[in-house]
Amino acid sequence: MLIRPLERKTKEAIVLAVLAVTSVAALRFPVESKLLFLTEMSALATILLVVLAKDLGRCRALAGSLTRSITVAIPILFAIVARTTDSPIAFEMTILTTFGAAALALSTGGRRARAMSLVSSGFLTLFAVAISDSPHAVGYGIAWMTICVWHLIANHWERLELCSVEDVRRGSGIRRICVLLAIAICIGSGLLARSRFGESNRLTIGFMPTSGGSQWSDPAARSGIGSGDAAIAAKEHAESFGAVESNLILESTESTLFDMFSDSIGEPKKKMKWERRQAMSSENFLEAHGKTAKSEKGGSSFSTDRLPAKKHLHLKDATERAVIQWAGTSGIRLAMNRYDTFDGVDWTNQAKHRQDTLMRREIAGATWFCDGQRSLTPSTTDVNSLKVLRLNSARLPVPMMTSAIHIKDVDRQDFFGIEEDGSFFMPGREKVPQLTVVDVASSNVMEDQLWEELSANAAKHLVVKDNQLDACVSRWTAGMDHPYEKLQSIVSHLRHDFTFDRSTVVDLVKDPSTQKPNADGSFRTSNTPLERFLQTKRGGDHLFATTAALMARTIRLQSRLVTGFYVRPSSIDIAAGHTNVLPEDVHVWAEIRLDDGRWFEIEPTPGYQEPLYTPSAWLVAKQFAAAKWPHALGLLVFAGLLFATRLFWIELGLSAAYPVGSIVWPSGRMSLAMRVLQMRAKYAGCPRVAGRPQRDWLLAITATQDQLQETARRFCDAADRAAFAIDNNRFNDHTVSKELIMKLKIRVLRQMTTKATA
Amino acid sequence: MNMLEQSAKVNRVAETLEAMRCRLNSVLLGKTEAVDLVVACLLAKGHLLMDDLPGTGKTTLAKAIAACVGGNLSRVQCTPDLLPSDVTGFNLFNQKTREFEFHSGPVFSDVLLADELNRTTPRTQSALLEAMAERQVTIDAVPYKLSETFFVIATQNPIDSHGAYPLPEAQLDRFTIKLKIGYPDRASQIDILEAASRAEGSSEGMSAVLSLDELAQIQEQVRTITVHPRVREYMVDLVEATRENAAIQLGVSPRGMLLWQRMAQAWARLQDRNFVTPSDVLHVARPVLSVRLLTTNDDVDAVIDRLLDTVPAPEYQ
Repeated sequence: MLIRPLERKTKEAIVLAVLAVTSVAALRFPVESKLLFLTEMSALATILLVVLAKDLGRCRALAGSLTRSITVAIPILFAIVARTTDSPIAFEMTILTTFGAAALALSTGGRRARAMSLVSSGFLTLFAVAISDSPHAVGYGIAWMTICVWHLIANHWERLELCSVEDVRRGSGIRRICVLLAIAICIGSGLLARSRFGESNRLTIGFMPTSGGSQWSDPAARSGIGSGDAAIAAKEHAESFGAVESNLILESTESTLFDMFSDSIGEPKKKMKWERRQAMSSENFLEAHGKTAKSEKGGSSFSTDRLPAKKHLHLKDATERAVIQWAGTSGIRLAMNRYDTFDGVDWTNQAKHRQDTLMRREIAGATWFCDGQRSLTPSTTDVNSLKVLRLNSARLPVPMMTSAIHIKDVDRQDFFGIEEDGSFFMPGREKVPQLTVVDVASSNVMEDQLWEELSANAAKHLVVKDNQLDACVSRWTAGMDHPYEKLQSIVSHLRHDFTFDRSTVVDLVKDPSTQKPNADGSFRTSNTPLERFLQTKRGGDHLFATTAALMARTIRLQSRLVTGFYVRPSSIDIAAGHTNVLPEDVHVWAEIRLDDGRWFEIEPTPGYQEPLYTPSAWLVAKQFAAAKWPHALGLLVFAGLLFATRLFWIELGLSAAYPVGSIVWPSGRMSLAMRVLQMRAKYAGCPRVAGRPQRDWLLAITATQDQLQETARRFCDAADRAAFAIDNNRFNDHTVSKELIMKLKIRVLRQMTTKATA
Repeated sequence: MNMLEQSAKVNRVAETLEAMRCRLNSVLLGKTEAVDLVVACLLAKGHLLMDDLPGTGKTTLAKAIAACVGGNLSRVQCTPDLLPSDVTGFNLFNQKTREFEFHSGPVFSDVLLADELNRTTPRTQSALLEAMAERQVTIDAVPYKLSETFFVIATQNPIDSHGAYPLPEAQLDRFTIKLKIGYPDRASQIDILEAASRAEGSSEGMSAVLSLDELAQIQEQVRTITVHPRVREYMVDLVEATRENAAIQLGVSPRGMLLWQRMAQAWARLQDRNFVTPSDVLHVARPVLSVRLLTTNDDVDAVIDRLLDTVPAPEYQ
């Protein structure tokens, strides 16, 4: 028998840990590569046997800790191997197995380790049982609990047996029958709960996010809720993946931004038929052409008056439906169209920003086409890339303040341009070619700039006069001076007081309950969607954006409406390293003009991440000081106190550093002590000149106190011997250095220095 | 030789050296530092240049050293008309035997005191060169070996430099250290007065503390004292710094460097240690450097101080 004899406690702990690992293994076995899985398990078993083996050699402690670390590393190692061999293990399974391996490794350790092992194996078993699909899994839980109860009670008895007779308090408590009862309760409650385990048989996103969510895929995801299956399927059948589809599918899935808006937010309400007919020739009466016209119109104006979106049955496969893929920060907006004029219902663009050719610049071997007005400084510029998959538009969805774009190997200035509304596009073509990868350089803005460069200077004709809006804005911005502060208040009110809801469009005329009657008893008819939005405090993002833009105008800021895509953080595909932007991620938001001609975003719609304008440390400090001046004052006083008592803290740190260092690094005690002393001397105002040997220096500063000098001399003798004598018996005298460290405090050094100089 | 014997021997050497220092200190009161350096210089097999005022105890010190090591002392009072042969010795034709007889000069002694060396002509000064470096003199093409422990104490008078011949650089480099004894402090002067009026005589009749052989042995021991590689590096750093310093015309030569190391070893020996520390190197640096650095401006000490402060000393590791 090679296994060394084990204590009962250890045996039980091992059994419990093995049980825990088995419960995880039961989850993993059906879904993973059998070969890898069995190898991993047998590796764990081997290591366990090695630990239990009788003769570990002389250095048992070292071998023990080594095998323990190996045990914990095995699941991680196998996870890596599995990823590279295309039969991935889900992240959470690796985590759970690692946990189990840790429990296993700890179970052979001392008393504390065993306790830790018990806790982790218990957690693991119950967790595995809870997430298991099989109702039989509860058996593991029952088994674990039973053994654990036995283990604890046996421990208790053992302790009783070891106690002397008079220490034992007699009671009716511990009887064998109680143990059996407890075990019976465990089994019974486990069986009772058994039927309920099936209910939580799926991991929901957020709880264990690595299983795959609804919008992104992980190659190791099991059934999951999201696109796991689809992603794997796509890998197997290349033609079902990405843009290499048949023409038929391409045509059906490729849609313009306008169509996507129609799908997600709702179609614009149609004007009366005859109005439209007037401008159309007779052959355009066909329904199909009508749709084309609508699509074309989609680019030049944006209606806020929309029907609720139709319900769609979407395939839950993110990758196949992605319009574009964005490799970069998620939670941002990619703009495609901008509108600066609002007529009460529709937004149109009047601005003339068109640039047919962009400035060509060579940066790091790549050809970039830059918006001539903007500079490109590396410190304030982010470079991300996007891949256009199926977007029927010549415009490029790019983040705000994009200053340059680059497509690999494209070196023609006439390929890129800026539209009238300020959006990037590729002139002369119907749409951006599929699978085009565009690198986008966009500048990021510090919050400081917004405070400095935002001023209420919009031209008079752009300022909106709307009583209802005015009332709201003046109520929300009462007592505020700075336009940015007002803007922030407007955005936060919109985000908090209003509800984002694309589906409901309430026809108020028919619904008097939500409207106050006028003085004459009649209901005021609200015509514009905006008014309805303000009354119901409910609507789609186009209404939020429009309201925010108009409100910005009432405080004399220049604003415009932007349509495009929102890069949803939840759709990030970790494995692929990019975010899929889906058709339903179309979004509307607003931009505000800075004094230098740049436009920055605001996000008034709740549920969408606000753009991040990092404030500088100075600005944060200023804002904090202004907002919480007693705190700031307190902090200042505290900092002052800290500074005044800095010697104490330095002393404390140095005094602590020596004992710790001398344990960690015994052979360097002397030099550590010397360094501590030198550091102290530096703060005491008598630093050592580099050219002065440490011995001379130490003896010189302790010259005024004989006893100290004597200690210092002993210390230096020992240190000199340790440092400069070439013999084998180097020794580091701990006591002298400790004594010196204790005696030569900063205060003492300072006193001695002043004495010496006097 | 086993360990015990060795340590016993080392202990005896330490005791001897201590006795010697005591003796010299009793002769030259209140100048422990200078005495230690002189002893170190003797152990380093070097030669000593004293840059001092008259009547500060140079001769007394030389005599005491000679007495301590049981050797004979000779003295040359250097004047402008002193000839090399007056120092080294000469062959005289003996009319009776009709042969040349060698008449040895004062260099054939164990301790040579050359007083006011800068008063004599460069020619005579050069005569000392070979004697100091090689411990031998060549007269009429015949080399004569000098004492193994030949020790030169030369003095020069800093004031009244009228009509003096400053020592040539080559000669200066052969001295190991330059010392300034200076006037003793007040308490020591009172002691000096007291001691002079005491009944027992001066150091004339003192017995030797150690024999010349023993001295030679200790000198050999000093040569083999360990110098840690880091300390060696430090010395080279210092030497290179003297050569690169703008304020110094002439830096330390390799010979100077060797003498410096020997001096540091001797100092370590005096501290009863068998290895050299950076402190030892630095301790002997000023006397070693002041004899051989030629500065553009006059203040040698300030230049040396600045130099020593800038070269980082090896720290404990």
